Amino acid sequence: MDPTGILPGVVETAEAVVARRVSAVSVVEGALERIAAGDGRVRAFLEVTGDLALEEARAVDARVAAGEDLPLAGVPLALKDNIWVAGRRTTCASRILEGFRPPGDSTVAARLRHAGAVFIGRANMDEFAMGSSTENSASHVTRNPWDLERVPGGSSGGSAAAVAARFVPGGFGSDTGGSIRQPAACCGVVGFKPTYGRVSRYGLVAFASSLDQIGPLTRSVADAARLYRAVAGFDPLDATTADRQVGDPEGALPRGVAGLKVGFLEEASTGYLEPEVAESLETARRIFRDAGAHVVSVSVPRATAAIAIYYVVASAEASSNLARFDGVRYGPRATDADLNALYVESRTAGFGPEVKRRILLGTFALASGYYEAYYGRAMRVRQLLCADFDRAFAAADVIVCPSIPGPAFRVGEKTDDPLTMYLSDVFTVPASLAGLPAISVPSGLTRSGLPLGIQVLGPRFGEEAVFAVARAFEAGAGFPDALSPAAG
Amino acid sequence: MTSDRSVVTPAVVRRVAELARLRLPDGDLERWSGQLSRIVAYIDQLAAIPESAFGADPPGQATPVRADEPRPGGGEQALESNAPRLLHGYGVVPRVVGSGS
Repeated sequence: MDPTGILPGVVETAEAVVARRVSAVSVVEGALERIAAGDGRVRAFLEVTGDLALEEARAVDARVAAGEDLPLAGVPLALKDNIWVAGRRTTCASRILEGFRPPGDSTVAARLRHAGAVFIGRANMDEFAMGSSTENSASHVTRNPWDLERVPGGSSGGSAAAVAARFVPGGFGSDTGGSIRQPAACCGVVGFKPTYGRVSRYGLVAFASSLDQIGPLTRSVADAARLYRAVAGFDPLDATTADRQVGDPEGALPRGVAGLKVGFLEEASTGYLEPEVAESLETARRIFRDAGAHVVSVSVPRATAAIAIYYVVASAEASSNLARFDGVRYGPRATDADLNALYVESRTAGFGPEVKRRILLGTFALASGYYEAYYGRAMRVRQLLCADFDRAFAAADVIVCPSIPGPAFRVGEKTDDPLTMYLSDVFTVPASLAGLPAISVPSGLTRSGLPLGIQVLGPRFGEEAVFAVARAFEAGAGFPDALSPAAG
Repeated sequence: MTSDRSVVTPAVVRRVAELARLRLPDGDLERWSGQLSRIVAYIDQLAAIPESAFGADPPGQATPVRADEPRPGGGEQALESNAPRLLHGYGVVPRVVGSGS
């Protein structure tokens, strides 16, 4: 099936299984072999559920034999450990959810299962999705397959590393402020955050409810479109999902950019940019011009305030959402001395330092005497940012900016400096705050061989345009799929 | 950017931790105070935006209302498979009434 040694992607795998050129069982066996051979170094997974995956693969083969045309037939996926999958644990890489078994599939897992996908294992992450490096996992640090001394980004670092290392053709992560796009860029893969309201969060452990979205990580834009299409759309179990047509993201891929206005974000060029990131932006300009787009500049003035807004809003929502973890209904209980001690000691023992930091920050921002100055203010500036984007999309069909301010950093480089770590998300947070669809596409390698990414943002529910533009950039950039990362 | 030390003092950190049901050792309060103060000082850039920048608040985007119909949520099963202490199908917690706490 694979004479070139390049692992087939999502679409190619599903088509081969549907055509019965290969069985789902053999696809999954191949993934398990690659994981066994390589994950000792990368450590993308918290748990590999091989027996369950093989059982699911046998069921897929039976469905294919019965004539079902499954869009994800036999595609092994790495799901971030904050997405419920029936029969598996869900821990959010946290001690406080040690051993937690969800009551069933999340809507995303149910839809993927329906489409023929197979769940190969639980991908590592920053605890409760709080981080930009996967170093905040309570279990272990995941390594970047391009350079094992570096982080894979985060918080969906396990999913990104599993795809980059060619263990699996695709994965899913969650994105609250960039947690799909930033690790995708760090690992040289595609990462897509849909519009807020496009994909159900039923069965996603909540971090910041006005921001969280689930989305795919893959090696190509077409594969991302296939995975996104399988999970998108209204869900009665999540009242925040939008009851509107998903459209045809795969059909939009060949549209190209001729005649489109591609707006480069001014604010991304005015501050300091690492020279190679600036070069990648210039290359992107040339690629879009050569493809027939009208390249323009657009301004989103409040994008420069996005990190400040985000760390108030997301932390405030996290402090509220994470109040449910108290040792009463799930997770380890530290003491039965009295109820307050049960809460305090279970939470103190169960949460890691970064989660505590966010809870403290969020509790502070919501506390009497500080609420108006911090939470109230941040919400008002968030509205200004949304209005900025509305104006920008009147002048351009899509907006382009870097995905990351520099390549993946070294393990341990930023762990003692939370604010510097937070600034890793400077280019991804604005789209999150405005609820916009945004994709990160690999743009090339630095001279030291590390991936960088370019981001395409669309107006709300403008996924088709985002995929079309991303595909055109991908074709122009020519990021080499055959290039094997260090750990591949 | 200079008022940070006066905002998230160790005493404020202690109070916020109590509200969040977290225990921070006294010896760590200075470190937490320093880290949080630096973050809050960065956030304080939002305060510099002049009031004239804000127009009228836009209309809120309400979550659509759905019919209020009961349906099974799997809660009992989740409780049974996950509760640290369980008795006759109920989660067990320390005595709340009359315990003096």
